[in-house]
Amino acid sequence: MISCGIDLGSRAVKLVLMDDGRLIHRAVYDTVVFYRDFGRVEAGEFSVSFGLLGLPAGFDRLTVTGYGRNTVKVKGASVIPEIKAHASGAVFQSGLSDFTLLDIGGQDTKVVKVVGGLTADFSMNDKCAASSGRYVENMAAILGMTLDEISAYHELPEKLSATCAIFGESELIQKIAEGVPRESLAAGVNLSIVKRVLPMLRRYPDGPVVFSGGVARNGAVAELVKTHTGREVIRLAEPALNGAIGCAVV
Amino acid sequence: MEKVGFTTTIPVEAVLAAGLVPVDLNNVFIGSADPSGMVEEAESDGLPRTTCGWIKGLYQAVREAGIRKVIAVTQGDCSNTHALMELWQADGVETIPFGFPYDRDPDLLRLQVRKLMDALGTGEAATLDMFERLRPVRGKLARLDEMTWRDGVVTGGENHLWLVSSSDFGGEPARFESDLDRFITEADRRERPLGRKLRIGCIGVPPIFTDFHDAVESMGCSVVFNEVQRQFSLPYPDADFHSAYMRYTYPYDVFGRIADIKVQAELRGLDGIIHYCQSFCFRAIEDILIRRGVRLPVLTIEGDRPGPVDARTQIRIEGFVGMLREIKGL
Repeated sequence: MISCGIDLGSRAVKLVLMDDGRLIHRAVYDTVVFYRDFGRVEAGEFSVSFGLLGLPAGFDRLTVTGYGRNTVKVKGASVIPEIKAHASGAVFQSGLSDFTLLDIGGQDTKVVKVVGGLTADFSMNDKCAASSGRYVENMAAILGMTLDEISAYHELPEKLSATCAIFGESELIQKIAEGVPRESLAAGVNLSIVKRVLPMLRRYPDGPVVFSGGVARNGAVAELVKTHTGREVIRLAEPALNGAIGCAVV
Repeated sequence: MEKVGFTTTIPVEAVLAAGLVPVDLNNVFIGSADPSGMVEEAESDGLPRTTCGWIKGLYQAVREAGIRKVIAVTQGDCSNTHALMELWQADGVETIPFGFPYDRDPDLLRLQVRKLMDALGTGEAATLDMFERLRPVRGKLARLDEMTWRDGVVTGGENHLWLVSSSDFGGEPARFESDLDRFITEADRRERPLGRKLRIGCIGVPPIFTDFHDAVESMGCSVVFNEVQRQFSLPYPDADFHSAYMRYTYPYDVFGRIADIKVQAELRGLDGIIHYCQSFCFRAIEDILIRRGVRLPVLTIEGDRPGPVDARTQIRIEGFVGMLREIKGL
């Protein structure tokens, strides 16, 4: 059976095809480009042009989640809440049933307590994209680093006070002007992400931390989570696709 | 008759006993045709963007409703009210301070009420008489609340509107009562719902979202408890005037609120609680204690400006409802 899962994220649309639990296709699109170029609205529903995506039309099952589903109804799809999609994806990918899921995406951070494979409780960040994926992207750009490069530093972090994705820029520029090494600034950026999610992780102190979302690719953040929580941190093989995988396997 | 505004629930009996028209400024703001525009107007006068939306709404409500006298609750609500009072004073609006004593000191409460009556030009006998006249109206609101959680014939949104309106009885208690009678008669004829839905309690200040209850109930839940709105209706049928305002939980410490929430959660069979916090509000700090005290799943959401529930909040509520369904096996 072929199932398609789509996670309509704030920054990217993630799409996977799975054949009886095996990942057979993955794709990531810019959210704006996806809505503009790969479908059209018919009678209030967004109809995805699978042909334009180079995919066969008609799957055994099509399931979507994410931001877009509040404003865009996808034709022929069943819809599941984001938390459920991410928890299901993490259970599937980690093979665990009791853990704390930490998902840091483009604008949102979620911490989900999973017990017996089901969501038992969750927290999400407040109305601010500070310490989200967007913050790391902006800071990396200021430091002249790629996302892979910024992910390499967790030692000797410079103390940063502004975690705002916008005001953080001027703080970094000031520090660069003061001659603070870029490596320390990169570590400071990674640490400020971790400090922001620690209160949420502390709410659910049991079991390992399963790390998903685009920021889970950042090894320094994973290392800092481990150091500051003393817990095992498991990075998923497909962190950014986790919500889409959860849709496909739910 | 002269209108007297107020910033949060006060002993409204004193205003009515003085022959004045009580106006809950919160209701003027959120019930206006363009509450969002009112916030923008207040900001254009310099009220900070990083301040409570309700405070900005109250500021503008006084202007738009042409109110020249305001009772400002200086203790028992937030200290933003102090600055609001000062802005009104500078605009020539008469302000009457009223404080609910933090420690529920009965003597201090009596003193505050007496000063309020003096300022309004009325006395205790007339105020107590008005309290007794309002007792049956509040009794009917308690009936309406039961029709929400016990009978399931009044929606959470209707419950919210009626209870929140009881802070000033729309300025005309007699008319309020006859409208309420009509509503109860009509609702009593509705069909009792079949099957069990998730039962949600909403706690915290009334949400600034204009469609909050509809949004929650459209996800297949019933909102069967509106904590603060119920408090506005003074749900203490046997209490006398002073003890009713002593038991009224909203303006005092959070522990009294938590005790009330726990009793009502048990009585109403709640499956989960949504705690609404206004952006920039001190009550978001009390969320820590509410989560510790209430042994039920709690979702905390935050709103800033008036308008429909935004996409970010919507996905949080959907996630919470989905989680409760899994837990309850519904």
